[in-house]
Amino acid sequence: MTKLALEGLRIVDLTQIAAGPYATLLLGFMGAEIIKVESCARMDINRGQARPTPETYRMYPQGVPGERPWNRAAHHIHRNGNKLSVTLDLASARGKELFVKLTAICDALIENYRASVLDRLGIGYAALSGVNPRLVYVKISSQGATGPEKDYGSLGSTLEQSAGLASITGYDDGRPLMTNETYPDPVVGILTVGALMTALRRRRQTGKGAFVDLSQREATVALLGEAVVDYSRSGRVPAPIGNGHPLMVPHGVYPCQGDDSWVAVAVGSDDEWRGLCQAIGRPDLAEDARFAAAPVRRRNQAALDAILSAWTRARDHYQAMHILQGHGVPAGALLTGGEVIADPHLEARNFWDAVDHPEAGTYQQVTTPWRLSKHPRRASKPAPALGEHNSYVFGKLLGLSPPEIAALEAQGIVGTRPTGSGEP
Amino acid sequence: MREDDFTLSDVRVLDLSEDVAGPFCSKLLAGLGAEVIKVERPGSGDVSRRAGPFPGVAPHPEQSALFLYMNTGKKGITLDIAGRTGAAILRCLVQECDILVESFPPGYLERWGLGYAALERLHPGLIYTSVTPFGQSGPYRDYKGSELIAQAIGALMQTIGLPDREPLRIGGNPALYTTGMSAFSATMIALYVRDVQGDGQHVDVSAMETIAVAQIHSSIHHQFGRAPARRESPLVRAKDGWVSPGLERGVRQDTWARVCELIGRPDLKDDPAFNTPEARREHQQDLLAILGTWTATRPKEEIYHIFQEFQSVAGYVATVEDLSASGQLAARQFFQAIDHPATGTAIYPGAPFRIQGDPWRHTRAPLLGEHNSEIYGGRLGFAAAELARLRALGII
Repeated sequence: MTKLALEGLRIVDLTQIAAGPYATLLLGFMGAEIIKVESCARMDINRGQARPTPETYRMYPQGVPGERPWNRAAHHIHRNGNKLSVTLDLASARGKELFVKLTAICDALIENYRASVLDRLGIGYAALSGVNPRLVYVKISSQGATGPEKDYGSLGSTLEQSAGLASITGYDDGRPLMTNETYPDPVVGILTVGALMTALRRRRQTGKGAFVDLSQREATVALLGEAVVDYSRSGRVPAPIGNGHPLMVPHGVYPCQGDDSWVAVAVGSDDEWRGLCQAIGRPDLAEDARFAAAPVRRRNQAALDAILSAWTRARDHYQAMHILQGHGVPAGALLTGGEVIADPHLEARNFWDAVDHPEAGTYQQVTTPWRLSKHPRRASKPAPALGEHNSYVFGKLLGLSPPEIAALEAQGIVGTRPTGSGEP
Repeated sequence: MREDDFTLSDVRVLDLSEDVAGPFCSKLLAGLGAEVIKVERPGSGDVSRRAGPFPGVAPHPEQSALFLYMNTGKKGITLDIAGRTGAAILRCLVQECDILVESFPPGYLERWGLGYAALERLHPGLIYTSVTPFGQSGPYRDYKGSELIAQAIGALMQTIGLPDREPLRIGGNPALYTTGMSAFSATMIALYVRDVQGDGQHVDVSAMETIAVAQIHSSIHHQFGRAPARRESPLVRAKDGWVSPGLERGVRQDTWARVCELIGRPDLKDDPAFNTPEARREHQQDLLAILGTWTATRPKEEIYHIFQEFQSVAGYVATVEDLSASGQLAARQFFQAIDHPATGTAIYPGAPFRIQGDPWRHTRAPLLGEHNSEIYGGRLGFAAAELARLRALGII
């Protein structure tokens, strides 16, 4: 039995929505024990409302909220697998006390509240590191832990604007568009894993914990590096250019057989251009002066696009990709959500995990963007029910007796149902 | 042990990768203080040297903004690894290193005896990170990739853009940068494990899988019953650009009433079309039209600050110019001025995260072959005559 890469690491997860939960999902895959802390009064927003209104039913499997909607909300189960769930009222003195005890037996804490929320509650880095000086505290925030905007709130959809990504995304009419995918959230989730591992390695060497300050805005601006450098030298402010590319032609998406089906083509060299001409059965085009090199291909792009579209339209997007790639042309089918789940390449690489969730049914769980040859990820565990692991964490890890835990429940400090859900 | 203040001062990286994804991974390692030795092809160097943008009209291999940004903090040597001598030299270098990062087509390095299996025998502690479009296995492993291809096949693009237009990519190179972040995180996991358990390993990072992880809504909605679709962005015109009021999610209860006062429409406070986040989501276009008459006369960043004061999640579409003027980014000294002999001083995005107390290395990218003498002469002990011979043969 191979040991998991991060076996033995225990992480308190105070994150919600997307960026933080992504990070702890990935860390969980690599073997860390993730203890997700929520409270009955304030669950992770991903769990939806305690009593959902019909407009939100579409966010539940089969459009049905079920008896305990908070345990089966789509955005909750999507990125909270591989975690334990406890509830703790962090506004209460006893809740805080237990939280501090919990962090004392953990290696790391990750949180993504507005910058000063935990400091205000008296359980920020200063307080926790006093009790556990080896604690690595990763603070993910919209704007960073300092500066005039440190308490600003945001979602991934906000950050792609304030970090500049929307300003270069759009068709060629210059109007900015958003990604519809809150792109900065998964990006920061992926980056946070490396930030945490770096701090944990440092702790192994120095014996000391650390405070890691990760601004989602800054991590997203880092994706625009060449534009920032260029602006500082030339004053050029880049605007959206659709699917085009400053050097490559053709570079864009072409319609395929079927409804709203497309293939992306990115020709970066003259070899690839000749490959494309072969692939579409038009070797004559390779000799055509109108298309001899990228700059002239750009001038004659309308004619080129018409020829290429006529070929792609007669083919299914996968078929077009395979033929083009067979001739050495970078091409990719634009996959839908359903297609990326069923894709044969990802299947051959075991990218998706089938999960049978006790309250949400079966679904395909997204896994990790990496593979370690000697430490495979562990199989997905379904996202936990609210407070599912209260007795393990408070009883086994913190040593509370069953009557003590029952008393906490009676006081509303821990529980398994959100406030306002009514009685079972 | 740690030699100076940098977090990864004791780590040495051999970087054979080029373009964006691999180099961004090693750039992060260099920023954290690792010694990164970038190996480029003699003569032409990294493809990103030809990518631009260039400050002038004419391309210049030492002036490409993409190359300069991707390779900060690294040392640069040249080596033709596709040959017996070059491969032998590379094996010498590998023994001095903890991490190797590469982005060749799968199987290419094996041809020169530089695949993971061969190098593992030489150096069992080596972490060997391969960053490719589709990964080291599977039916597409030999397919070519690019930024556009990754966004397409990872199911990100299909839902971006407007309903009556073709799908749209996110601008710039975000998929490749994110793949670099995946590689960085995976490499740091492997390094941590090596320190604890002793063995290195092969880390396989794929751009397609990075994007399949980064798409959230496409696969969720497919599985749980709502087909995701391209749609309008909830942006509204300001005097000098675009803002999103951010009133559809995650706002405080009294936010809407305060907005109504602000825009001079107290009559809308109790309007059921707008008085809950769900209702505002439902009637987004009407809401934007109402707010638009107010926002159209005011600067975008001012609107952003006013709405944030109301505890909304407002945003403004910042251009690269706006980023350089942001008070928040300035207060945190995020941007760094870095001098370079071929371009003069330019402004670079700085550390994407900070470990309190530890500095980030902000030094310029290397010139092509700039550190040949230091590494081959100083590190490997090659005599000047030997260096001259390798140079004459075109190996370095």
